Amino acid sequence: MKPAPFDYTRPASVSEAAAALAAGEGGAKLIAGGQSLGPMLNLRLVQPRLLVDVAGIEALHAFEETADALRIGAGITAANIEDQRIDTGAVPLLQRVAAGIAYRAVRNRGTIGGSLCHADPAADWVNLMPALGVRYELVGPSGRRTVAAADFMTAAFETVLAPDEVLETVVIPKPSAGARFGHVKIARKTGKFAMAIAVVVSDPGRGVFRALIGATHGRPLVVEEAASLLGSDGNTPDTARIGALLVEAGITEPAARQLHLTALRRAAAEAFSKALPS
Amino acid sequence: MTDIRLSVNGRPIAGACEPRTHLADFLRDRLDLTGTHLRCEQGVCGACTVLIDGAPARSCINYAVNCQGAEVTTIEGFGGDEVMSRLRTAFHEEHALQCGFCTPGMLVTARDIVLRLPEADAAQVRTELSGNLCRCTGYAGIVRAICRVLDERRGAAPVSAGRLGPVGARPGASVAGARPAMTEAGTAPAAAPGTGELGLGGRKPNLETALSFTVRRPIDEVWAVLGDIPRVARCMPGASLSAPPSDGHVEGRMSVKVGPIATNFAGAARIVREEAERRGTLYGAGRDGLSGSSARAEVTYALAPTGPDATRIDITLKTVLAGPLAQFGRSGIVKELMARLAEQFARRLEQTLEHGAPDDEAMPETSLRPLALIAGLIADKFRSLFRRAR
Repeated sequence: MKPAPFDYTRPASVSEAAAALAAGEGGAKLIAGGQSLGPMLNLRLVQPRLLVDVAGIEALHAFEETADALRIGAGITAANIEDQRIDTGAVPLLQRVAAGIAYRAVRNRGTIGGSLCHADPAADWVNLMPALGVRYELVGPSGRRTVAAADFMTAAFETVLAPDEVLETVVIPKPSAGARFGHVKIARKTGKFAMAIAVVVSDPGRGVFRALIGATHGRPLVVEEAASLLGSDGNTPDTARIGALLVEAGITEPAARQLHLTALRRAAAEAFSKALPS
Repeated sequence: MTDIRLSVNGRPIAGACEPRTHLADFLRDRLDLTGTHLRCEQGVCGACTVLIDGAPARSCINYAVNCQGAEVTTIEGFGGDEVMSRLRTAFHEEHALQCGFCTPGMLVTARDIVLRLPEADAAQVRTELSGNLCRCTGYAGIVRAICRVLDERRGAAPVSAGRLGPVGARPGASVAGARPAMTEAGTAPAAAPGTGELGLGGRKPNLETALSFTVRRPIDEVWAVLGDIPRVARCMPGASLSAPPSDGHVEGRMSVKVGPIATNFAGAARIVREEAERRGTLYGAGRDGLSGSSARAEVTYALAPTGPDATRIDITLKTVLAGPLAQFGRSGIVKELMARLAEQFARRLEQTLEHGAPDDEAMPETSLRPLALIAGLIADKFRSLFRRAR
């Protein structure tokens, strides 16, 4: 099982990467850690004519903590966050989610930006960032723009990223002191693709009560006014409404709906009934 | 071919390889380091795990060119390693291997657990070991062996290799202004349509979907339009006929794109229409020349009058998908794609029946991207009909 032939270039900067993608006229594909793209290349499901390798670009490994946000370079790996080689303590969920991604050998290569741009509906970062109100900074030949995480992914494996754009920085707002989080992932086995992911964020200080239902067949469902879904106490879910939302998202099998509902209930219970896990 | 330089087991290696050569093939075929085993080649089984810059990584989904300048350690490279020596002894004494196929990957992962997580308990060892599959000994002996070495080293400080960014990645050289070389666009080998059996041939479908909708046209007119194969084919996003249909036999292609995944199926179909029942069935088979995936399908449509000038169309689609697309193991996504294609087809067919042609331009290739944009425009009435039908 070998990939179809492709050519390979390793640009020195983000702007050179964007230029190489533009020169590729649709035949070029960006690769960072390659932990999702690699299997697809090997299966020949993806057959680019040129791979543009950005894994070593140091600007993508940048990290900065500002007064109100964490600015994480798209080339930071899950293992970097798991090991706290960058201090993401201001957003405690990040380390927990990072440590639960696939396997350590994959986390050592797989990047946060690569996962977000690959936009696999079952991926961990894909199903966390919209719940945290994250923004992405994209760089392309025509300049720079910012996109909200909730608007970035359009469908399974599809995003608003232009063919010559590169995700450079993931900007994660810091929650206020009283913020509570719940995160639940249901998978058949440790490291396998999630069957259901749910995130509940309650941050009264910032006026946020948000729920995310993830690992659907497409983009995650984000509910901004989650009180209407989970009750103002977070523990009186409107199961009929949640079920209708899931059906609308194409989750038609009752067993799958039940998994998503269970994940959401547990995430809400975690956010509302016990202390933030340290 | 690309020139690469890297260090393998402390030895500098220079050579040329194709960019598509994964690290494991480079190690095994070029350097004769056959201790690195290959099984799934999609990053799942862990047999090919090696150290890159001191941290475990899959050598099947990392390409040799990705490792330019990196330090790679294979199972052959731990001769003088104290922890690996203890692990070898413990694996031997705890019966942690039988056929030995998974063992090189198990040992590389085990060493990482022992060094990085010196206080791990058996439960954590099992979690950490979840990316390495063993199909014969079972995990009990392997977990015991690792726990034994952990116990021998209790109190040791955690050691974790790695820098910021993916292990093995090095900055590139500036190529500003240069146009990168690019492999010639591949042409999908033409499948030979029309030969062999069409339809499911009694096979159990692995993907099924159904939908119903009503058009404001009398049943006889709908029946006549559905008999016009080129016109119906134009309603199918991404489909094209390669020759005019003859006697219910059609040949054609269908392209579907999902993000970076591109497919181009070539195939043939036979259409059988039962005039009295107002029912038709398409028996089709095709092959994707790009990935080598194959598909068989049976599509049935049945018409029923719901008034003098209204007809309900019930469509069922049964498919057997095989090859890499199925092996990829994401049937939920493929099913959702099929449902969306069916939805799109139905909408265009509805427009064809009511206005003479689809409202939008012909689509040479379909993808979820335009579908995602169009989805919001689909009338709620139609959507709810469709969802109820499934």
